[in-house]
Amino acid sequence: MRILAIIPAYNEEACIEQTVRSLVETCPDVDYLVVNDGSTDGTGRILDEQTLAHVDLPINTGLASGFQTGMKYAHRHGYDAAVQFDADGQHLPEYIPTMARALEERDADVTIASRVLAGERLGGARGIGSRLISSLIHLTGGVRLTDPTSGMRMYSARMIRLFAEGYDLTPEPDTIALIARKGGIIVEVPAHMQERQGGQSYLDLSHVIRYMARTCVSILLFQWFR
Amino acid sequence: MSLSLRVLCIVGAAATFLIVTNSIRRSRMRMDDAIFWVAMSLGLVIVAVFPNIATILSRLLGFQAPSNFVFLAVIAILLIKLFTLSTEVSALKSRVNELAQEEALLSSDVEELHRDDDGNRQSNHV
Repeated sequence: MRILAIIPAYNEEACIEQTVRSLVETCPDVDYLVVNDGSTDGTGRILDEQTLAHVDLPINTGLASGFQTGMKYAHRHGYDAAVQFDADGQHLPEYIPTMARALEERDADVTIASRVLAGERLGGARGIGSRLISSLIHLTGGVRLTDPTSGMRMYSARMIRLFAEGYDLTPEPDTIALIARKGGIIVEVPAHMQERQGGQSYLDLSHVIRYMARTCVSILLFQWFR
Repeated sequence: MSLSLRVLCIVGAAATFLIVTNSIRRSRMRMDDAIFWVAMSLGLVIVAVFPNIATILSRLLGFQAPSNFVFLAVIAILLIKLFTLSTEVSALKSRVNELAQEEALLSSDVEELHRDDDGNRQSNHV
């Protein structure tokens, strides 16, 4: 099974090298591609100097488009699975083989690395948001997910094609809801995550509100027209 | 329609016309997009010169005053224009992203080819 880890990176000079090194060390059989989404810091220079596998978007196009770039690459190079992997070091590469096994054995379309199944508790506002999205996905797609906002997801070849050719598909819970409703099989495997290892988070209030509004309206309303 | 509103319509139309023609002169707007504004100002002039059009239409549709009808018509036209612009911006975003993606993938292919080429040349020398 040929797996590609897609690592979207926007201004991640603080941790991108470390993230890739630990990925390559832990999973030498997994290919990776850093998608430098028009970074304005030293990310591009680090990728060049350390000769890490990457593509450079000439402008900042946003996470969804950056991820789609990776999916197009995966599709054109015939990968069997692609995993969405954060540049900031939150995701642990040792779970990639587990996710791939689950994808293969259960003939799934998406495997999600679930912190909750691993015994973690999503506290505070994050937990409330996660449970809300979870119930919306259950309502519309009929699947019970414990950790829908987990950013570490693995997709089958069929999903790679969908993302590569589709219109406006985000690597976010609303697309998971859409896949579930269209009959895709989504499984979760237990996985721990780390705190981000560098760079800055975009979890300020206005981003959170926009994210929740977009996700909820997309799951409840827009997906019925797609 | 009061005289002052009619004068305002004509002044607004003239101002719109001047701004649009100036934008064309300075290459800040394409003619395709300017036609809407020219038509808009022309419409305002027609309503101001022949206020009976607004009076008859407003009576037909049950408006209390012709001016109310003119306001609503302008708001409706602008809303439609705004929506069209919104879809155009969406389309432009998708296209720009797609161009950026293809450029990124293509230049990585080119780089790979260069590397292979260099490798071959070096092995030929040996």
